[in-house]
Amino acid sequence: MSGSIGWKAGAVGALLVLFSFLAMANFVPKDERVASEFWPDDGLRLGLDLRGGIHWVVGVELADAVTRELEFVRKTIEEQLKDEGIALAGARVEGGVLRLDIPSEDLRSKVVQFADDSGVLTSPEGDGLQLRYRLTDDWTQSVRERTMSQVLEVLRRRIDDPQRGIPDSVVTRQGTDRVLVQIPGEQIDRDRARSLLKSTGFLEFKIVIDSDSTKEELLARHPGGPTEDQMIVLQTDQESGVAESAFLVSKVADITGDYLDDARVQFDQQQRPIVEFRFNPAGGEIFGELTENNKNKGLAIILDNNVYSAPAIRGRITTRGQIEGQFSAAEAADLAVILRAGSLSVPVVIEEERTVGPGLGQDSIESGALACVIGLVLVLAFAGAYYRLSGGFASVALLANLVLLVGLMSLFEATLTLPGIAGLVLTVGMAVDANVIIFERIREELRKNRAVRAAIATGFSKATWTVLDANITTLITAVILFQYGTGPIKGFAVTLSIGIVTSVFAALVVTRLLFQLYPGTRSVSTLSI
Amino acid sequence: MPFEIVPSGTNINFLGHRRICLVISLALIGLGVVSVIARGGVPLGIDFVGGTEIQLLFDDAAGADESAIRDVARASGFSDATVVRFGEEGSNEFLVRFKDEPAVAVEVDVVETEAGDIVEEVVVVSDGLEANTRIIQLESAIREQIGDFTEQRVEFVGPRVGAELRADGVNALLFSALAILAYVAFRFNARFAPGAVVAVVHDLAITGGLLVIAGVEFDLRILAAMLAILGYSLNDTIIIYDRIRENMELHTTADLEEVLNASVNQTLSRTVLTSITTIIALVSLYTLGGDVIRPFAFAMLIGVLVGTYSSIFIASPLLLFLETRYGDSGEGGKKGGKGSGANLAKNKPARA
Repeated sequence: MSGSIGWKAGAVGALLVLFSFLAMANFVPKDERVASEFWPDDGLRLGLDLRGGIHWVVGVELADAVTRELEFVRKTIEEQLKDEGIALAGARVEGGVLRLDIPSEDLRSKVVQFADDSGVLTSPEGDGLQLRYRLTDDWTQSVRERTMSQVLEVLRRRIDDPQRGIPDSVVTRQGTDRVLVQIPGEQIDRDRARSLLKSTGFLEFKIVIDSDSTKEELLARHPGGPTEDQMIVLQTDQESGVAESAFLVSKVADITGDYLDDARVQFDQQQRPIVEFRFNPAGGEIFGELTENNKNKGLAIILDNNVYSAPAIRGRITTRGQIEGQFSAAEAADLAVILRAGSLSVPVVIEEERTVGPGLGQDSIESGALACVIGLVLVLAFAGAYYRLSGGFASVALLANLVLLVGLMSLFEATLTLPGIAGLVLTVGMAVDANVIIFERIREELRKNRAVRAAIATGFSKATWTVLDANITTLITAVILFQYGTGPIKGFAVTLSIGIVTSVFAALVVTRLLFQLYPGTRSVSTLSI
Repeated sequence: MPFEIVPSGTNINFLGHRRICLVISLALIGLGVVSVIARGGVPLGIDFVGGTEIQLLFDDAAGADESAIRDVARASGFSDATVVRFGEEGSNEFLVRFKDEPAVAVEVDVVETEAGDIVEEVVVVSDGLEANTRIIQLESAIREQIGDFTEQRVEFVGPRVGAELRADGVNALLFSALAILAYVAFRFNARFAPGAVVAVVHDLAITGGLLVIAGVEFDLRILAAMLAILGYSLNDTIIIYDRIRENMELHTTADLEEVLNASVNQTLSRTVLTSITTIIALVSLYTLGGDVIRPFAFAMLIGVLVGTYSSIFIASPLLLFLETRYGDSGEGGKKGGKGSGANLAKNKPARA
């Protein structure tokens, strides 16, 4: 055996040992791995379809953010005009367009001037006394980006907050207007996850003008219905959804949750959970003044238009307050999380859900592993029977291929999904192909009565480019699948692509090496192939 | 003596039977087209059209059957709900599916105006998570009226996502075909590329048709299978083309048909062997891999069989056809059946 081959065999052997180690680590339970010095902490991740969990694609209504921005611009312009003593004939935002109706032609330049000064509007369209504006492309983009980061931030704090959120969950941005939420878990509580997502977390405090047990009775006392700047809000039972009381309050909040500094769960004297909150200094000032001026009135604490409680104000309160409601400790904890995380400025919608129960996930792992092992054994048996000793070489190459494939995926901490397991089984079936191409070539050369060593050398050299061409084309489709696939399907593309690379390596390097070890430089008259 | 599935020296005149193969292929494609028309389109799963699918495993089978669950669903306002038993006969696992237009819940408020008129004010109370609420609604109705169950799987695809996944799927197939065309043109010779692509399209058309006939619903798993089939079938075709190119260089003056025949025969054992090992693995996946992955394994099995058939019987005749019809703008066309292989061999070095 020449030195260079010994060196190569050593390198390939070392590589395989290393990757076997990485691959085997996946079979050691996670906590043991972390505890031991020997095994690496991280390895293959299991996709939610194997592990069980919720996969949500959440759409963010960015159009709402644009509308909101235009409303803000409209108010500013109206106020500026008002300072000059000008009132517009009309101003409204509709379908992403701000429409300003100028009272008379001579005021036109003035209105255009103020609109221009905002710096975020396009030049006006429309004729006569009607001006139509949109946000400039740059500003629209910036509004959308700002909204996305705010939504991401809020959802992260609610869902994957390391302390209070749901352990191991992931919240990431997907594309321009979507957020991907992944919540793994043995015990998935969809309702709870949903309520964390659902609540926009918009907290308001309003002084109660009047209240009664039902809306009808309240309306009976206020025959005209609520005035322009008033509204009716209800306190509903969390369980049954039945309204318990109705409150007449002003439309504009006296103070909002924007001033909140912190919120946490506490227990009252009867050991009922309550949520205690604290305002920041600025909020404390406003709140102090509000409570001072409204002693003995009710203060409605409203979250997302639902009244949680409406205690009577006993005296001046500055920074601290509490929300009582008929909630469980878990609900109170979630409410505290939502309050602390702040409010979502735009609505979100679940656009896609893929939830797999942990039982089904476990079944999938077991049946997938069984299919993989049985497939492997059958293919190995077939290769051995067909190519004898060389078939044995091919089998070694196939095993090396799997070790490399699983080892590489563990190294990259790739996610294994059910389609990924299917890709693994498919790789087992197709990986032998490269060896088959080489062996058939060698057989052809042997039939031409070439010497064994020459036949092996020619076989490999002629087959190399065939193997590469065939596999590169397959790799192209796998990469494109990765690009366009979503979720679990991406997992299939991952195993398939890595499997293609490792199987080419296994055939061209590992099998080659085995032939160099036997027959190597020995002169043999027959080859078992 | 080595064990051989295809005996050495096999020389079957595949090209001679190309008309029969053409008829078979066209018949298979035609069958697919007819069944697509008969079904009123390719049956698409919720991935591509949107909708909700929930898989429920009942704690005990008593009372849980398709019609009972369907009745509960219909009574709860899911008028288009379909229910099928999942897995074997007698299992207590069911798949409930409903198409769910993003419901916009509307509440009508009765308000008395200042003038004393009673008017109805329509308030939209949909919170945007409506579709998701409907799942919870349906589940609690089933739980109350039929029995307790474990929620095995929930899939909900909104209409916007469905449309995007559909577009992405079409793009994935399209870009794969283009990328392959480019690679084959680059590595071989532009003349090989159309043959490879037509062969792949042929395979996907037949496989797709057979899947429609078998009643398989097209979803993301089937799309993944189709792309894997595309890769597999191409792999097969490339290996034969590679041999054709090599033989062309060796015998530049030989008759094209002879060269093609020889190439298909020389690679025949490899084509068959690789199909066998792949089919072994896929059968194992199909029988043991579980219900979720079974449609994928089934589609792959059909695709591998069709791909193998096309590599042997279709890809080379296609090359012959394209070469004799369009090969040489001047003479090739007039010569009719006898193209020369010289054009295919020129230009590109076979190996680096």
